[in-house]
Parts: sequence; C-alpha cells; structure tokens
Amino acid sequence: MTATRQRRLDWRGLVPVVVLLAAWEAISRSGLTDTRIVPPLEGLVGLLGTEVAEKSLLGNLAASIVRDLSGFALGASLGVVGGILLGLSPLASALLRPSFDVFRQIALFAWIPLIAMWFGIGEASKIVFVALAAFTPTLINTVEGTRSASATLVEVGALLRYRRSQMLLAIYLPAALPSILTGVHLALIQSWLATIGAEYFMTAGPGIGTLIIEGRDRFQMGQTVLGMILIGAVGFLLNRIARAAENRLLRWRTA
Amino acid sequence: MATISVPDRPTRARGIQFAPPVRLIGIGLLVPLLGLAAWTVGARQGWVPPQILPAPQVVWDTFLELWQSGDLLANTLISLQRVLFGFAAGASLGLLLGTAMGLSRPFEAYASVLFTSLAQVPALGWIPLAMLLVGIGESLKLIIVAVGTLVPVAWNTRAGIRAVPSGWFEAASLWRYSRAQVVWHIVLPATVPQIFVGLRYGLGHAWLALVVVELLASSEGLGYLLVWGRQMFQLDVVIATMAVIGAIGFALDAALAAIERRLQRWQVASP
Amino acid sequence: MWSIANRLAAAAALLACLLAGTARAEDLTVRIGYASIGAGNRPFVGGTLAATAHAAHYVEDELKSDPGVKIEWFFFAGAGPAVNEAFANNQLDIALQGDLPSVIGRANGLRTKILLASGVNTPIYLAVPPDSDIKTVADLKGRRVALYRGTNLQLAFDKVLASKGLAERDLKIVNMDAATADAALASHDVDAAVGANELFELQKNGIAKIVYSTKGDDPAFGRNSALIAAASFEEAHPEIVQKIVTAFVRAALWSSDEANRDALFELWAKSGYPADSFRADFEGQPLKFRNSPLIDPFIVHQYEVQTQQARAYKLLRKDVDLTGWFEPKYAETALRQLGLEHRWTARDANGHDLGS
Repeated sequence: MTATRQRRLDWRGLVPVVVLLAAWEAISRSGLTDTRIVPPLEGLVGLLGTEVAEKSLLGNLAASIVRDLSGFALGASLGVVGGILLGLSPLASALLRPSFDVFRQIALFAWIPLIAMWFGIGEASKIVFVALAAFTPTLINTVEGTRSASATLVEVGALLRYRRSQMLLAIYLPAALPSILTGVHLALIQSWLATIGAEYFMTAGPGIGTLIIEGRDRFQMGQTVLGMILIGAVGFLLNRIARAAENRLLRWRTA
Repeated sequence: MATISVPDRPTRARGIQFAPPVRLIGIGLLVPLLGLAAWTVGARQGWVPPQILPAPQVVWDTFLELWQSGDLLANTLISLQRVLFGFAAGASLGLLLGTAMGLSRPFEAYASVLFTSLAQVPALGWIPLAMLLVGIGESLKLIIVAVGTLVPVAWNTRAGIRAVPSGWFEAASLWRYSRAQVVWHIVLPATVPQIFVGLRYGLGHAWLALVVVELLASSEGLGYLLVWGRQMFQLDVVIATMAVIGAIGFALDAALAAIERRLQRWQVASP
Repeated sequence: MWSIANRLAAAAALLACLLAGTARAEDLTVRIGYASIGAGNRPFVGGTLAATAHAAHYVEDELKSDPGVKIEWFFFAGAGPAVNEAFANNQLDIALQGDLPSVIGRANGLRTKILLASGVNTPIYLAVPPDSDIKTVADLKGRRVALYRGTNLQLAFDKVLASKGLAERDLKIVNMDAATADAALASHDVDAAVGANELFELQKNGIAKIVYSTKGDDPAFGRNSALIAAASFEEAHPEIVQKIVTAFVRAALWSSDEANRDALFELWAKSGYPADSFRADFEGQPLKFRNSPLIDPFIVHQYEVQTQQARAYKLLRKDVDLTGWFEPKYAETALRQLGLEHRWTARDANGHDLGS
C-alpha cells in the first residue's frame, strides 16, 4: 500500500516541476532573453560536465564541505560542553546565561565584519564564523536537555551514591541525548548556511559560495543555478544524514 | 561547593523554566561588567590595538554621534520597513500555501515535491539568482526577506492543520459547515499556536535574510552601515550597529511572543 | 618501559626541535598583498609596476640568493579595506595599497611605512550604459552610481564631484566592488559606475560607454598607490626590504621602457583583463609617467592633500599626522645602485618637473 501511495505521490509531485522546467526551456529558446541569463537546460547539464571536468567544481564543493564540517565540529563540541556546564551548574548558568542570551540576539551575519577583522584573511575567519553558527543552537538545546533529566532518576542516582562523573554519564547524558541531537542537527543546518555566507563576504577562496557569486558577476546564470542546486542538495543530504544518525543513536538508547 | 552536582531542588519538572536561586540572579551582571572593565582597561593600556577593538567609550560616542546625526535612525527605519514588508508578503504567501497544502491532499501531492526542493535552498542561496533577475533595487530585498519568511511559515501552517484531529472535520461535516466555516471555526483556532511558531521562525529568518542582503548589495540600511564601518576601518561603527541589530532582533521576537500569548488566551477563552 | 614523564620529555624535545627549525633566520616567508584581484578572482593583476613585479617574478629572482626566504602573494577582491584588515591581523608584511585606504589605516593606528610609489597618476573613469542620457559628471545628480567606498576611487571621485559643485549626497551612491559594479552596469541596476581600466572591456563589448576620465583633467584628480610595509617587518628585516624594493625598481624600469609597451600590456593581461584595456588606459601617456617609483615632493604632497580632503569629506574622523610615514631610503639606495637616479623625473609639490 505504501508503495502505491509513494508512486502516486511521485508523478503528481513532478507535474509542477516539469511545467517549470518546460517554461524555462521555452523562455530560453524563444530568443526573448539573453541565453546567458536563461540558459537552455541541456546547456546546464553540459555546464555541469565542463565545471566538473575543467573548473574543479568538485574541488570547490570539497572546500566548502571541509570548511563547513571543521567549523561545525568546533562549534558543536563547544556548544555541548558549554551546554552541559550551564545545564548542571546553577552558578555557571547564573553567571553566563544572561550574557549569552544578549549576544545571541545579534543576527548571525552581523558578526562577519568583526570576525573578519579579528581573524583576518584565510580559513580561520570562515571557520570561526561557521563555529559560531553551530555553537548557539547546540548550547541552547544541550542546556534544555540536561535539565530535562527526570527528578526521580536523579534521586535514584543520589541514593546509589553515584559519583559526579557517573551521574553525568548514566543519568544526565542519556536524558539529554534527544535534545542534544536536535541541537546538533540544527547546528548542522546553520553551519552550512554560515559556510555559504562566509564565502560570500570574506576573502575569496575556493567554495560554492564563491562560485555562485562569480556566476552572478559574469552573468553566467547557469553557474549560479548550478551552485544553488548544489547548496540545496548538500543541505538536504546533511539533513538526511543527521536524521539517520539521530534515529540510530536514539534507538540505541531505547534498546 | 560543588559546581557540577545534583541541583538543590530536584523536583523541577520537564519544560518548566529553570529559575536560578534568588541570590544568584544579580550574578548575571558580573560577567558583562567584568568584560566591560577588561575591555576598558585593555583599550586604555593598549593591550589590544584600537583597530581590532576600539574602547567602549569610543563605541558609545560613535553610537551617540550616529544617533544625533540621524544616520542611525534613518538606516534603522529603512531596514525595519524592508523587513516588515518582506515579512508581510512572505508570511501571507506562506500561510496561503501552508493552508492549501494542509487542507487539500491533492494540492499537496502536486506542490510538495517542488516546494520541498525549493525550500532546500536557503534565502542566502537565492540572492545571486535574484540579483540576476531583478537587479539590486528594493525588490531584491523584499524578495529575499519574503523567501526567508515563507518556508517556515508554510511548513508550520501545514503541520498545524495536519495535527487537527480528523474527528473535528467529521463533526464539522455533520454540522454541514461550509469550507470557510471549517477554516474559521475549526482549523484556525486549533492551529494558531503552530502557525505562531512558524511566524516567529519566519520573522527571525526574515531579519537574518535582511542583514545578509543589505551586506551584499545596498546603499542604506543597518547591513550597509556594517559594510561601511568595515570598509572605513571603523570598528566602533560596526559594534554600535551590531548592538542595534541585536536590539531589534530581540524586540521583534518579543513582540511576536507577546501577541502569541494574547492569542493563546483568546484561544483558550473561545469555545 | 617509558614513563609518562619520559614521553613528555621526548615530546617537549621534539617540539623544541620543530620550533627551532621554524625560527631559523633564513626561513622567512614574506607575505605580499595586492589591493586588487584579476577577473574572475584570478591571482594576477595589471596596471602598476607592482603587477609587473608579481607577474614576471622580479621579487623571487632578486631573492634567489636567499633560499630560506619565500614569497607569498595575496590578492584582495575587497581591495584596500581588506588589505587593512590583513595588516591589522599581522597577516601581511608588504602590500600595494591605494592612497585613501592606507591613510585610513594610518588614522586607525596601523604602523606602516611607505617605501615606493607604484601606480601613480592613475585615472578614474565614469561609465554609463550605452543608451544613457548621462553625458557629463554634472548629469549624475540624483542618479544611482556604483562606487567602491573606502578605496582610492572614492576620494578621487569626490574631488571630481566637488569640482562640479556636487557631493556624494547629491547622488545615490551604491557601494560595490569592481566585479559587482560591472554586472550592475550591464543589468542597468545603476545609472553609472566609477572604476578603472576594467571599464574599457565593458565599452568594447557594448555594455557601457566611458563618458568621463580624469585623464587630461586636473592632475590632482588622479589617484596614487604605493608599496607599504608593516613597520615591524621593515625594522626587523631591513636587508630583505631592500632587496624587495630593488626588485620593484627593476620592475619599474622595465615597465617604463616604451620598447616594452606591448609586452607590458600582454603581461598584465594575465589578470584576465585584455591588453587592449590597458592600452586604452595608458593611451597618450608615457609609461614612465605612470610607472615612476619615485616618492617625490609631488607624491608626498598628494598624500597630504588626500588626507586633508578625506578629513573634509568626513572619511577620516581625526587629523592624521603623516610625519615619518614615508621611508624613501630603500628606493634611493636601489636607484643609486642601479644607476637610475635620472631615469624618472621628480616633480615638485605642484606637479612641475624639478630640473635635474
């Protein structure tokens, strides 16, 4: 049953996609617009080929992904550690949480000039910016998670005279895991966004963001659209991977 | 006293906002005050060069100067206007789209693939394409802000409608409600909380998208002030503008949260 | 068996060796920045003697006898303002930067030295779409004009505007870098764009026409740029600085020789901007007029005037003292060693040739 529903959903869902692509192709072939602005679709496919073969599209993609994951790893791990600290220590929370809440009001991209000035040219600025994007959601959700440990379990732990480390590993972390994973998942989405932003606004270097800005500057709409599709596809894949990892980890917990 | 330990009051239930003991509340000011003190002393002693971090006094003076010259207010108003118009457009479209997808299975079947694929590209990714299509004028800002708003609003509206128990629709058909009545009396009250979640996300995204688009191509607005400060090597302008951006982001969210609370009260009160 | 202490000691020793290795005197990477970038972010530029020095490896050749010294070049789409960011982070030792951004850098406490002129009397151009009704600078009133703020284009353009009784606020200035401005001009997003020789390529392709140039107008409208060094680098490595400056003077010599005119423009075309653009940009001007490395009284005076004007246009918020900023001794030594004291004509503050 699911299979048939799946198939039915598929063809109906494709209708507007096909209509859109057909309209694109028609506009492109009508000669009403510059083909650089609306390139024919087969041109786009051809472009994919030449970009991969000649212009190291894959190199740009790899550069973006490495940048993304480095910043993400840095920001998310700091977020988890900070979140556990703030979640478990009322003192740390009272000291730091208000400042954190004030700083996170500043729209992410407004940090770019300051970070560029502080960390200069090269990868450091970009990675710090991506890490900042990953840090905030991880921290918030980790705090929520650690505080959601059930009071009963905590009491049991106290009765069993668990040490602090045992308390953390046996009670708080398992309770916080779903929430931490939500935070990490959000962080993954945010850091991909930040990666593209960093490539727009910081020193030029290889990357998908650079590629699509270049396409815009040179009126190569094909290149820009190709870049956008890649941004969307990578975002989608990261999302999928995060969800799968989440499910697997949570299944392990319940088992 | 141990800092990582069992909290004093282990009776806290899930979801209830944790409040630190009263004696700890004032402590939250300690870190900002210490930070400010270190910043002041550091700037005065020349530990950090002024081009990396100007002294707090300089930032404050710049803020006052920008305020008195009217530059700050003018740019803020332009940014606010853009975000509100773009948000209004994106939220209306998102509500329409989300309602249609939520209420009509066939519509959703047709629209979801296209919508889901387009929604994968963040507003940021649309900017270069939109620039090619509509140029760098006001319409670019409106489109990007609207795109940023649309996706979360549509998602949450659809999810909210889907969450309405199907029994309610059956009851409505028994009462021979018209489609409009169904929407007004059943769908709307039941989905308001979820729609508001979408609107709050949407507004947050709208503000973020606006800052981005103003950074990339603009001759006015708060994002432009940031760029100006960066290019003229005036970090005090950058920091003062960041403060305004943060304050507005906070105010926008707080305003929607207030409306949300009010609506929820209405929803509880209504039959 | 190894104890932890033993392992730590071994690790520390290894680390010490590594650190000692990197700290050896002959291992030095000189980071040279250039406040521009080629078409499509190509790491090549054109239009100045520094561009020649880079493309023809003058600096690397001069330092051949110092195998421990490496040269690393950086090009900035963010132009002069981005060079300031890099200087502030100690990520550059030497850079080619325009007059306004380097004055802004100095005003904000960057410690630099001006070593040599590179790219003097550079014109700016005003381009409009081919069907535009804008014929002169005065027609710009109320129109949308693309300008990269904070670069030396801005100050030069402000002076041009002032000469027609206009100021930036009479126009709608849209801030964008060169590549973005070209695209905006082509898509009619702006009514005009202020730029350099890259506009000739647009004109050739029928996307724009150049309606005004500072060439032939008041010489004070031109803009200048120079090779500057981080003061700390200049103090720490005077002998390396000397060799680099000498290399640039050699590049200036080659770039000023009319016999090389075509070869020069072809070399610069590595930037992705065609040789014809440079040919048009330099048309009617002797190469040595634009490629003079001299920090003569005219250049010093120009920097002083630029500073005062930048202050008057509120691009600077406080007065800037230029005393001690110019450090011409390296250029003088190079000229003397190469016997080139009379190759270029020094000018007095008013731009008149100083009799030699």
